[in-house]
Amino acid sequence: MADFDAIVVGSGMSGGMSAKELTERGLKVLVLERGPEIIPERDYTDNLTPWEKPNLDSVPQDEIAEHYPRQYGGVAYAIKESTKHFWVKDSEHPYEEAEGTTYDWLRGYHTAGRSIMWSRQTYRLSDLDFGANKREGHAIDWPIRYADIEPWYTKVETFVGISGSAEGLPQLPDSVFQPAFELTDAEKSLKASVESSFPERNVIPARIAHLTDATDEQKELGRSNCQVRNHCHQGCSFKAYFSSLNATLPAAERTGNLTMVHNAIVQSVEYDAESNRVTGVRIVDAVSNEKRTYTAKVIFLNASTIASAMILLQSKSETFANGLANHSDQVGRNLMDHVSGANASGYLSGFNNKTTFGRRPSGGIYIPRYANLNGSDKPYARGFGFQGGATAVGNAGGQIPGIGRAFKEAHRMPSAWRIGIGAFGEQLSSPDNRVTLHESKRDKWGNPLAVFNVRYGENEYKMLEEASKDAVAMLEAAGCTNITATDVNLTKPGNRIHEMGSARMGHDRETSVLNGWCQAHDVPNLFITDGSFMTSAGCQNPSLTYMAFSARAAHYAADLIAQGEL
Amino acid sequence: MKTRREFVQGLILAVGGAATLSACGDKAPAVMATAPNNPGRFYSGDEMALVSRVADLIIPETETPGALQVNVAGYLDGLMSDWASANTQEQHRAALVRLRSDLDAAVAGPFERATQEDAERALSELDARAFESDQSLGGYRQLKGWITQSYFATEGGAVQELKWVALPGRWDPSVDINPA
Repeated sequence: MADFDAIVVGSGMSGGMSAKELTERGLKVLVLERGPEIIPERDYTDNLTPWEKPNLDSVPQDEIAEHYPRQYGGVAYAIKESTKHFWVKDSEHPYEEAEGTTYDWLRGYHTAGRSIMWSRQTYRLSDLDFGANKREGHAIDWPIRYADIEPWYTKVETFVGISGSAEGLPQLPDSVFQPAFELTDAEKSLKASVESSFPERNVIPARIAHLTDATDEQKELGRSNCQVRNHCHQGCSFKAYFSSLNATLPAAERTGNLTMVHNAIVQSVEYDAESNRVTGVRIVDAVSNEKRTYTAKVIFLNASTIASAMILLQSKSETFANGLANHSDQVGRNLMDHVSGANASGYLSGFNNKTTFGRRPSGGIYIPRYANLNGSDKPYARGFGFQGGATAVGNAGGQIPGIGRAFKEAHRMPSAWRIGIGAFGEQLSSPDNRVTLHESKRDKWGNPLAVFNVRYGENEYKMLEEASKDAVAMLEAAGCTNITATDVNLTKPGNRIHEMGSARMGHDRETSVLNGWCQAHDVPNLFITDGSFMTSAGCQNPSLTYMAFSARAAHYAADLIAQGEL
Repeated sequence: MKTRREFVQGLILAVGGAATLSACGDKAPAVMATAPNNPGRFYSGDEMALVSRVADLIIPETETPGALQVNVAGYLDGLMSDWASANTQEQHRAALVRLRSDLDAAVAGPFERATQEDAERALSELDARAFESDQSLGGYRQLKGWITQSYFATEGGAVQELKWVALPGRWDPSVDINPA
């Protein structure tokens, strides 16, 4: 008799959704979280005022150097004294990079994982993405198409709450929307200019997982509309932005079917060769070092793309000498992220009599992919979207000349309107881009360190060069002055924090780890619904897709259990 | 009269976030009350006097508090003590030595004893050089940045001068500026 119907490993973006859907189907679910519990009343810091955050809210320089060199190097904008507890200490969670490569593995180990710290940009994939590999003969084909996942996008979005605007773009299907954050006047001007000069391009409001017209279901979970403070990196006491902690975990908990255990680091998944089933997971307690095993009828890995692959690789048996469910030898391979590094900014005149009220969260505009929409019309494959915004620039950094009253009062008004846009491009999968287990180095719990070996290919460099030119051309068309475009300098792999592909789905067990239900080809009661399943990356922020696939897989697994097949 | 904390909590409850009231900042910043000639945790008495005078000239008291009134020098003293690395501390000390040297020379005597008019003139000229081409005054620009950021991180600077609002509650993308 198993301890639980299902075990979900990880409580972040996808784990929370897996837990919600499984528990709502009546299954008894154990969620294992490797980090400590986050208690909003204690750990959110979003209600601190600037004067309640000493030292400009900066983490001491020596502490950064000792404990956060990689995390801070990757996301300095998000790691403050008031938020550092949401990020892992590199000193406690090291990893390695293959010679000549670099990788940003940026993480938070605690309830809800990175869903607390994400940037909340939320977009659907389309058949342009699901059909790309087959169309181009690259890698392997996705085993599903947009029609398969569309109803699950709708179901998830209705629960999550996404502000945005219906645009009817085939390459970026509309979601279920709550009202968008309206564009600023400068953004509207940019939109008119760009769409006039480049008819195939669109400038639309960013789609973000913030409530702007909370539904009754959202209110029942204690969620309310965004208060437009832009304190999101510090948590949200209004539960206005989506996170597992704000939404899916409370929804799972209210079913009475959820058990949650913190500080439980999964070391391996137990496999029974006779039945060809996984039977449970072995964990080490992060605090006591005690080792325990939990059993269940079905196991969902939602530990994140890197960690789920590492758990599989650590779970060796006679049947799976190279790691659980790894007949294809694809576990840990095909690691993808999105790639940035093509940015441009400029100034727009004509708006100096305008300002804004409120601090709009997470960017303002999105320019959906326009490259290679109908065949291949660019010198690179796939495409990119631009994220950005046009805002009134203040002077609070003190870097303007002058002293005295005039200097002081100059801060009351915006000095100029600045537009900035940056590309998020698709990285093509490659089996050579992978994470493996270090042969000898272990962390303090005895688990092998991750070793990253990821390089960008020629397509990513070529794409970003073109994206940079496009960005400048659009700002010129908008009439910007003082346009600045830095040299294209690709972000480190991993830096966009969109890891994907380490246990890709496909049509067969020879070339892929999972089938179209996120179910392991090799082991029918093992599911992986974090970013691991992604067969290609698209250029859209992927969290929504992880959640849609999680919900779909959870219902499929629940059906199989009901039918007595698992 | 409700305190700000009580007001925020009431609003959260009113809009439905019943269960998740977060810490509303009972902890005060580690900023010492300072006087311009008294040493702080990091600054010597002389350094405190210089930083206080320069901060007062950059952000004076007007209809709203100035840098002196909100204790920017004390804020910076805390910043240097608790945030800065030894390397940053050393560079900042060197920048203050250079600043004092330039300003004393400009007023032909101890800068703190200069008249208001002379002090404003001397600092204005140095400020102009720093923002034109004199790269050697980078330490001054950094100090000015810290003074400004610290000022606007205080309640007086943020609320009274900058009209910072804790809970905007709405987004208006197009607000006409009234020059008056």
